[in-house]
Amino acid sequence: MTVLLEAERLCRNFGGLKAVNEVTFQVMEGEIFGLIGPNGAGKTTLFNLMTGLTPVSSGVLRYRGNILTGLPPHRIAAQGIGRTFQNIRLFKGLSALENIKVSQHVTTKSGLLSGFFGTPSSRVEEKRVEEKAWELLALVGLSDRAAELAANFSYGDQRRLEIARALALDPKIVLLDEPAAGMNSSEKQGLSEFIRAIRDRFKLTVLLIEHHVPLVMNLCDRIAVLNFGELITVGEPAEVQKNRDVIEAYLGAE
Amino acid sequence: MDAVQFLQNFLNGISIGSVYAIFALGYTLVFSILGIINFAHGAIFTLGAYLTYSLAVGQFGIGGLLADLQLPFQFSFTISLFIGAILSGMAGVLVERCAFRPLRTRGADPLLALVSSLGVALVTVNLLQYLVGSEIYSFPSDVYGDIRPAFLLHIGEKLVVVRTVQIIIFAVSMVVLALLGYLIGWTRIGKALRAVAENASTASLLGINVDRFILYTFFLSGFLGGMAGSLVGTSFGIAGPYFGVSYGLKGLAVIVMGGLGSIPGAVLGGMVIGLAEAFVPSEYSAYKEAVAFAFLFAVLLIRPQGLLGSSQIQKV
Amino acid sequence: MDQFLQNYGFLLVTLVQQSLLAYSLYFPLMAGQLSLASPGFYALGGYIAAIMATAEYFAPWRDALGWGIFPLGWLAAGIISGILALLVGIPALRLRGIYLALATIAFVEILRVICLNLAITGGAIGIFGIPQLFESRWSYIWTFGPLLLLILCFSYRLDRSRVGRAFKAIREDELAADAMGINPTRYKVLAFVIGAVLAGVVGAMSAPFLNTWNARQGTFDASIAYLAYVLIGGSRSMWGPLLGGIMLSALPEILRPLKDARLIINGLVLVFASIYLPQGIVGAVGSIRNFTTQTLGIGRSEK
Repeated sequence: MTVLLEAERLCRNFGGLKAVNEVTFQVMEGEIFGLIGPNGAGKTTLFNLMTGLTPVSSGVLRYRGNILTGLPPHRIAAQGIGRTFQNIRLFKGLSALENIKVSQHVTTKSGLLSGFFGTPSSRVEEKRVEEKAWELLALVGLSDRAAELAANFSYGDQRRLEIARALALDPKIVLLDEPAAGMNSSEKQGLSEFIRAIRDRFKLTVLLIEHHVPLVMNLCDRIAVLNFGELITVGEPAEVQKNRDVIEAYLGAE
Repeated sequence: MDAVQFLQNFLNGISIGSVYAIFALGYTLVFSILGIINFAHGAIFTLGAYLTYSLAVGQFGIGGLLADLQLPFQFSFTISLFIGAILSGMAGVLVERCAFRPLRTRGADPLLALVSSLGVALVTVNLLQYLVGSEIYSFPSDVYGDIRPAFLLHIGEKLVVVRTVQIIIFAVSMVVLALLGYLIGWTRIGKALRAVAENASTASLLGINVDRFILYTFFLSGFLGGMAGSLVGTSFGIAGPYFGVSYGLKGLAVIVMGGLGSIPGAVLGGMVIGLAEAFVPSEYSAYKEAVAFAFLFAVLLIRPQGLLGSSQIQKV
Repeated sequence: MDQFLQNYGFLLVTLVQQSLLAYSLYFPLMAGQLSLASPGFYALGGYIAAIMATAEYFAPWRDALGWGIFPLGWLAAGIISGILALLVGIPALRLRGIYLALATIAFVEILRVICLNLAITGGAIGIFGIPQLFESRWSYIWTFGPLLLLILCFSYRLDRSRVGRAFKAIREDELAADAMGINPTRYKVLAFVIGAVLAGVVGAMSAPFLNTWNARQGTFDASIAYLAYVLIGGSRSMWGPLLGGIMLSALPEILRPLKDARLIINGLVLVFASIYLPQGIVGAVGSIRNFTTQTLGIGRSEK
């Protein structure tokens, strides 16, 4: 297995607060990598550092050996890193189908004029965009509501649409920020299967933040535990579960 | 430029700069609380000048529908200025009720608040024009009573002229700034205002009536705008109901310069632009009106957060 | 008919012209950016056309090109406006929020002061006696009309293309669009430049139409008027600017009997429309249609 994504002594300070402090870990190609930790542990900040939405204070991020730190979010996305957001950031005023079409931006080329004149290549491209958007909608089971505005979807459907939108980038890695939030236990079960299925189908590497420990333990190949911005441990679920620092962090936080 | 000329320009600059400062503070207060620019602020500036004029002179302008009406009373300039500013503050409150609150309660797009406040500005200005006409006029020279119109400073052969109005403008502005600083920095109202500016929803959880403090803010903003308009009006005359527009736009340059939402920034920005305008050489005086906007561009290029603003961390 | 065009030709062309200016705000708004620069580019375009049509320096050009000087003026106005828009837009559009609106206000004011003071723009008096392209006012529909059609086609295509989707994504959520691989600065600048080029060309077409050109063409008030066209018509539909432009620029004509009070009414329209028609007229019509089809089951089409 090869290393796909690598964080080296990553730091982010907000004023005096060390939201992420000297975090080092590696993500292997094809794995489902869980990120857990109590509230405020810095999990989402870490995601934001990885996708360029928050600049790092120090440290380096590498993707296939290329340095990501310092790149703007769209350049990072263009390298094949897709994400979802903890508080769902769909394009609410656009239809479900358009939400997915938007994300195919990096895999398409047509410009202002070729779009206007409808050149043959732009028409071929547009057809491909359309087909893929329908395909992804079908994958998350929303194809019968393609024309509806994203804002009108239920919470769970919005989460699924957001995953489909991230997949439209043709990513190599997807970062899912609390994908199971607000779901009941049978939906959570379904989500686990879904994440495995997309991993296999699109040959993805998946990073996910999740609070629901059983789900993470079942789903993830490896887990990293953060507490107060610091990485406590990284390892397979069984090891992590036995780690005393982890137990303390969770019990201490209660 | 010799030292005397420098002194003259400097005095002119800090006088007008101090008005820019209190005017721009009106924008800043609203911006720091709502994150929106109140485009009716320039109209309040105009309104303030007309109100003060009417109270001090006893008549409503010169033309328009009210041309022949006389007020049954006349106040001294100081009192007129104060009442004019209070009334402008009330107009500010009215602007909030008409143009901002209906949109806020619905959680509407902030762009719409720009349009609705522009609409209120348009109504205010044109209503003024309808009522008092579009003539240009100035405060009578005896409006301050017996004080001599100017003080002359002899420096060697040269002469520095300080108009009384300039001193009054500077003094009033400084008093207003000091009071405002005290209000915001040291009183309970000020603390609550700062809490609302920091985070409105947290403030409301803490039991602060956010809507009421937004009204206070608009009152203060209108008060400052009306005061600034009156001061400029006494110094340069009232150039018709549209005379607030250019000051309104200039005020925007001032707040960008100082840093959007920064209170000390608005004061510094006002002073810098006032001084910069004063130091424009007389052969380029036609371009004086563009100075503030040139500064705005320079700031956007070099230091977008403004002189005293801090770069904000986007919340994801 | 001739009599009608004699009386109302000027008004009809003006309605089209104002709608076009509404579109110059619509494109930046499509990418979520409030630009108040249109009057600046409009004035600039007009000056370019007016100077090319009157200045001594361009006399040989006029002799050589005949009426061709007019299209050349449109082209020059479009190109110069576009370049200037890049220079204004890039610093302002790196930033999120209200900065573009403020920078464009500054741009319009600076340009106005400059035009008031330069000899080539005729100073405060402006340029007058601009040669005519057509004999009658009404005939100018043959320049503004095709441009409007072109813009309508352009809007229609843009809405359904990759670039248009990028615009809308930025409008909806700039940060999320960035995370989905869209370079926000680039597309915001592009949207702004499209609007500027359009305003410049409309200005160049308007100079002969209006016969005189001066610094009053580009003021802050005009910015507000154009913004009102778009928002009241509906900023989320390609038909909004057309509808708003036609209705609001006809309004002063309809209110003419009210004289001075008509600007007050204009202001009231802005306030009420932003409060009660947040999606504009097109949006309101859309929601009524949704209401009738979904709730009342009227006019529901079979899938």
